[in-house]
Amino acid sequence: MQKLNILIVTALLLVGCNNFDEDININPNVPSQASGTQLIANAMLSLSGLSSSPQGEFMSQYLSETQYVNASLYPQSSTSFYWLYQGPLMNLQTVLNSADKLSGTEGPVANQLAVAKILKAYYVWHATDRWGDVPMSDALRGADNFTPKYDTQESIYTSLFTLLDEASSAIVPGSVSNDIIYNGDMTKWSKLANTLKMLMALRLSEVNPNLGKEKFAAAVQAGVMTSNSGNLIFKHLADANNQNYWFSQLNQGREWWAISSTLMDKMKPVGDPRLMVYGNANRTDGEYTGLVFGETVNIDTEKYALLGDAITAQDAPVYLVTYAQVLFAQAEAAKLGWIAGGDATAEEKYNMAISASMNQWGADTSELDEFMMQPEIAYNPAKAIEQIATQRWVHLFMHGYEGWAEYRRTGYPNNMVAPGGAEVPKRQIYIETEQFNNTANYNEAVQRQFGGSESLYGNVWWDVN
Amino acid sequence: MKKNYAMTLLFLLGFLASIPLYAQQTIKGKVTSQEDGMPLPGVSIVVQGSSKGTVSDLDGNYSISVPGSESVLVYSFIGYETQRKIAGNTTEINIQLAEDVSQLGEVVVTALGITRDERSIGYATQEVKGENLTYTKEQNVLGSLSGKIAGVQVTGSSGASMGGTQKIKIRGVNSISGGGEPLMVVDGTPISNSNFSGSSGQDYGNLGQDINPEDIETINVLKGPAASALYGIRGQYGVIMITTKKGKKGSDVKVELNSAVFVDNVSNLMPYQNLYGGGSSQTWRTLPNGDKYVDMSVDESWGPKTDGTLVRQVMSFYPQDPTYGQLTPFVAYPDNIKDYYETGTNVNNGVTITGGGASSNFRVSLNDTRIQGVEPNTSLKRNNVGVSLGVDLTKKLRLSTNVNYAANQGRRPGQGSEDGSRYLGQWFQRSMDMKRLKDYKYDDGTFLNWNLRRPSTSTGEVTNFNPLYWANPYFLANENFSDDNRDRFFGDVGLSYQISSELKVSAFVRSDMYTQNINSRASFGGTGNPGYSVGKYQNTEMNYELLAQYNKVWNKFSLDANVGGNIYDRDYSYLSMATVGGLSSPGFYNINASIDRPVTSSYQQNKQIKSAYAMVSLGYNNTYFLDASLRNDNSSTLPVDNNSYWYPSLSTSVVFSEWIKSDVMTLGKLRLSYAQAGSDLSPYSTTSFFNVGSTYTGSSTVNTLSVPDNLNNPNIKPSFAHSYEAGVDFKFYEGRVGLSFTYYNQRNENQILNLDISGTSGYGSATINAGEIVNRGLEIALTATPFRSDNFNWDMSFNISRNRNEVVELYPGIDVYQYGSTTYSSTSSYLNSYVGKPFGSLVGQAYQRDEATGKILLGSNNLPLYTDATHDFGTVLPDFNGGFQNVLNYKNFQLAAMIDFQAGGQFFSRSKMLAVRTGLDPLSAAINDKGMNVRDPLADGGGVKVEGISAETGEDVTAYVDAKAYYGVVARRIYEDWLYDASYIRLREVSLSYNFNKSQFANLPVENVKVALVGRNLGMLFQNAPKGINPAELSTGSQAIGWYESGQLPSVRSFGFNLNVTF
Repeated sequence: MQKLNILIVTALLLVGCNNFDEDININPNVPSQASGTQLIANAMLSLSGLSSSPQGEFMSQYLSETQYVNASLYPQSSTSFYWLYQGPLMNLQTVLNSADKLSGTEGPVANQLAVAKILKAYYVWHATDRWGDVPMSDALRGADNFTPKYDTQESIYTSLFTLLDEASSAIVPGSVSNDIIYNGDMTKWSKLANTLKMLMALRLSEVNPNLGKEKFAAAVQAGVMTSNSGNLIFKHLADANNQNYWFSQLNQGREWWAISSTLMDKMKPVGDPRLMVYGNANRTDGEYTGLVFGETVNIDTEKYALLGDAITAQDAPVYLVTYAQVLFAQAEAAKLGWIAGGDATAEEKYNMAISASMNQWGADTSELDEFMMQPEIAYNPAKAIEQIATQRWVHLFMHGYEGWAEYRRTGYPNNMVAPGGAEVPKRQIYIETEQFNNTANYNEAVQRQFGGSESLYGNVWWDVN
Repeated sequence: MKKNYAMTLLFLLGFLASIPLYAQQTIKGKVTSQEDGMPLPGVSIVVQGSSKGTVSDLDGNYSISVPGSESVLVYSFIGYETQRKIAGNTTEINIQLAEDVSQLGEVVVTALGITRDERSIGYATQEVKGENLTYTKEQNVLGSLSGKIAGVQVTGSSGASMGGTQKIKIRGVNSISGGGEPLMVVDGTPISNSNFSGSSGQDYGNLGQDINPEDIETINVLKGPAASALYGIRGQYGVIMITTKKGKKGSDVKVELNSAVFVDNVSNLMPYQNLYGGGSSQTWRTLPNGDKYVDMSVDESWGPKTDGTLVRQVMSFYPQDPTYGQLTPFVAYPDNIKDYYETGTNVNNGVTITGGGASSNFRVSLNDTRIQGVEPNTSLKRNNVGVSLGVDLTKKLRLSTNVNYAANQGRRPGQGSEDGSRYLGQWFQRSMDMKRLKDYKYDDGTFLNWNLRRPSTSTGEVTNFNPLYWANPYFLANENFSDDNRDRFFGDVGLSYQISSELKVSAFVRSDMYTQNINSRASFGGTGNPGYSVGKYQNTEMNYELLAQYNKVWNKFSLDANVGGNIYDRDYSYLSMATVGGLSSPGFYNINASIDRPVTSSYQQNKQIKSAYAMVSLGYNNTYFLDASLRNDNSSTLPVDNNSYWYPSLSTSVVFSEWIKSDVMTLGKLRLSYAQAGSDLSPYSTTSFFNVGSTYTGSSTVNTLSVPDNLNNPNIKPSFAHSYEAGVDFKFYEGRVGLSFTYYNQRNENQILNLDISGTSGYGSATINAGEIVNRGLEIALTATPFRSDNFNWDMSFNISRNRNEVVELYPGIDVYQYGSTTYSSTSSYLNSYVGKPFGSLVGQAYQRDEATGKILLGSNNLPLYTDATHDFGTVLPDFNGGFQNVLNYKNFQLAAMIDFQAGGQFFSRSKMLAVRTGLDPLSAAINDKGMNVRDPLADGGGVKVEGISAETGEDVTAYVDAKAYYGVVARRIYEDWLYDASYIRLREVSLSYNFNKSQFANLPVENVKVALVGRNLGMLFQNAPKGINPAELSTGSQAIGWYESGQLPSVRSFGFNLNVTF
């Protein structure tokens, strides 16, 4: 018995403890600390995703689908916004939440926070313009709130104006590291913040022109972009790890997109030199032929102008917020009387905008003056808003969601088609899983905006007509 | 908690120490086995009608005092026939006990490898003998369990995968996350049954298949916590206990040779239409010179009639091709897909040598399996070596070891709709001659493809010979393959010390280690970038175990007590790398060939569990038994300050046949049990971390970090299962009929879930304790020998089980748990679990229907309207599972047949949906009620007849719709039409064997010769799902639940010859 007792006691000693090495549950494969600028850099990598999607191009009818045409017929299907929250926004929020832990060795902490705020504002703005009300004040809180409520678009705009003001006013001298976008140049970030505020203000032209006018003027006053060198561009690399979406598609043999007739009809008749950049001549007879948007039968890709080589290059950049947009906005604001100068200023800014766009796209500008003198193009006070909006839409090529937002606000271009009877959507449908994962808040948001059931055709707050 | 733990063990110690030992002398003797003459220790010797008793010692010796010469001594031992002897006047009685043949199966292997008398067990057990698993030479032995054990559902994979995944679920789905595979234990050593497959691509199968089927003596399935509670935190989902064959002490050396040759062929291919060929329209396309040509840019069969029209086919556009520029007849090739498959072979050779000396026993086995798959360029080679040794170092000290080695080398076919040749049944041209594609490479190195861009409208020549959507299937098989290999060792070394006849202490070191390599290549000339990837995965699991076993019989009482401890230590690591942006030169498959910075990852993981356990079984009068067990587990993966948990069990059995003496009923037993078991989670799930994002190499190199999508939980607790079980076992007519009923109720609560949450929280999912999932079920097992005579014997066994599942609770505010989703052509379907419903609802797009009449609503173009992807089609879980086995012996012949079946359950078939959508399926070229083909023009009476209600007007509509347009909606958007009942009755195995008499080869040094003809996976006797889709092979790689089928590998039927010679 004695022996047995000894053995059992030994067994107990062997197993009777619940102590393990202290670090046994620390994941050795990933860092447990993150530098602020590396998180921000990761959020920057998602910027191209705001533009690089066929869906955006269909919304603004820049491209026609050649293969799976149904995808372009505005099916009533949902689109997820989760990637924005789980991806860039959560990285940025993590930086903002850990302000006291950020390291000054990567640039002034105030500037790191400012960049995070500007990017956050840009992503949230993008989201609310596409879906309408979206979670913001309750969002990005992890374990503290699994079911964030939806904020109204109106309150989101108010919050974003504040966020941008906070950001630009906090900027101090000194550059930040790991900045893929502006290489640490805080002046450019400051101008981007003001430019975003200005473009957001213009979005209010229909729903709240007074507020729009006030914010627009304040933004211009604070200093917006002054050249293409300040553009918010995501520069892809000739490297498969950071390559252009359209390149990867073409590389898989997917010639699924042609220049739409909608766009062709605004460019080809006036000999717009950007057309040679936007598209390639067709392979049948070397002509620039647009494909009717939503055309479903027997599409022969040989016959249409497919995406241009400059657009599908592996390292083709994605233009997100540009100087030409600033000029178009100022032209429109002058015409609306939001800023001084009237038609004269409007015309000046309009002409500058087209020129900036040509330069941005690398179009052949040798005959720019002739181009500008054509009656459809030359500034005409009687239809200035239409001209500005149409030219802005041409300029915003490949940034479909922005082109679509401006179309919804202005109603231009005037030749958008309704494929199979489906009009251009007014918004996108919330991801279905919100109905299960965030039921009460989803229902409340849908009830508040659309009276109970949502579709592609409910107007967002600023889209009043 | 700590205190209780110590108290319990102290109590137990005191209990053990207080047992008095009886020993007075009168009669002495030795008990030996009649079989081999070896001493039998632990035999109970009782003076009948008195309270006196003893047990034999290690050498079989005993001594007992008896009141007088009239006394009757009763010698009983588990598995042996009880003998009674009158004491008489002798002082020495030597007894030989005979093995009790009628009681076969009464000794069962229970948790921790402890063998017990079946009478004493308070929960359901069922055992499968090794010979039941081996004669069909199934590559993955776990598949052979299908239908053999009540309550065990095996979802298999096609034989074309050569050892693909066999999923085992015991008593339903006990985890809301769908996971929860049973623990596999071989001779007491837990072994990994993990899986390196994804949900598509190569199916490498579950690792449990590394056990050599020839080595298996028995498989016992511990079906629930009552049986598996002694495995604590690893026992929630049951345990598969495998016991291997061993040599016997004092037996002659026996050599056994086993050779088997099988021939495999695809069976059950889907049917295809042969009236129309490749193309998207029945109108011919023409070249500038007016020649008609087959539209090679279309991967569908909506083209012109296969009427022999002279046309340019795709080969004729290759200047290297002998048919360049020629017109050939446009015809269908009805067998073109069948032609792709080859006849597979499976050659299996094995040797085993067994024997033993006076104090030792051994068994050595070698096995070699070589399989050529039915898909071109697929193969599997497997070698197994097994050694088991036992040596009595002294009379009391025994050393034993089991070592198993397995080496696998595979080149396997991809599965899934986009993988390898699996597109053939989904996107193809009925007019394509497969035999022409076989020679896939021209002399100049150009690959022959069938799917290209159209020829130039000006020159009529094809200028781009790169494949458009699909490469030549032979190119994929021969150039874009994936190789895998795995070396595996598992086994144990143990010492046991028999302190006294009642007490034994043993210690084991157990190990399971493997290295898995997977390399994949994508060649130049395919649809995507060329590339190469390598992965090396290493796992070492060690278990250090100590066990004290105490057996004691006195008076009418018996005691069986075990105390033990275990330390589990697992190290897992991998290195994986893949090229990015292409390869630098053709044929150079190496990470160094990467054009851009390759993707690399290195990973390591360590997990430990420290455990202590105790079990006590008390019996009275061999009639009443009470078991109690308790285990404490400390898992390193749980939060540091809260990682210790207790798992108790309690069970009882009452052999009521002891009260009711009956000639008919040999045994009647009632059993009841309650137990808790648990499960923990993977390492590193309680602390937060950041993911390494991609690196941006612009003007300077920027490394990025990101917040992971899953939110870890520092407060996680283990998941607990509470299980109640009640059952009754009968044996009638001396065991000729056995019947067993079991009812169980297993409540799994505090599940550890990666619950999908609103992504707007910043995380896509969160690791939480939540939810409750309940399984209730009934199991019936029947064995019978309907006929028994000298020459003819008929044995049968039948089992059936029914399981009902309900998800009782999820997380506050969240009503659904999404197990998985699958999206194709922007249409998704999901497997969701909803509160108040069974696990696993198939959810997808359904027809929109008129509420009043249930008729389908039609849009303005008379095409059906459909709902969004939220329609709940109900659970995928089956209602019943079971099997039926018959063995007929006539003289030296044996005929055995095995049927397994399932009633209910459902799945979604993407293969069928796509075959219809792309015009391959006969449905797309059916005859409508006007006697015209649905593809004929509407004006001529063609079209698909559509009946429903116009959504606009509310009026009844009967209309005919263009077939391509109709299926373009129905076979693309409306999943309702492509869901199938998963019921089946399958003839799984049939074998006819002949056992030669020794007299027939008296001159040869041969003991026994057995030959057998075997058929495996012979076919479905019944299924509701359409031909060509196998509802029993829904394994999609490592996915825990089979709920959809997408590019399933074709079923394989095997016939073979088996020769077994014993020397």
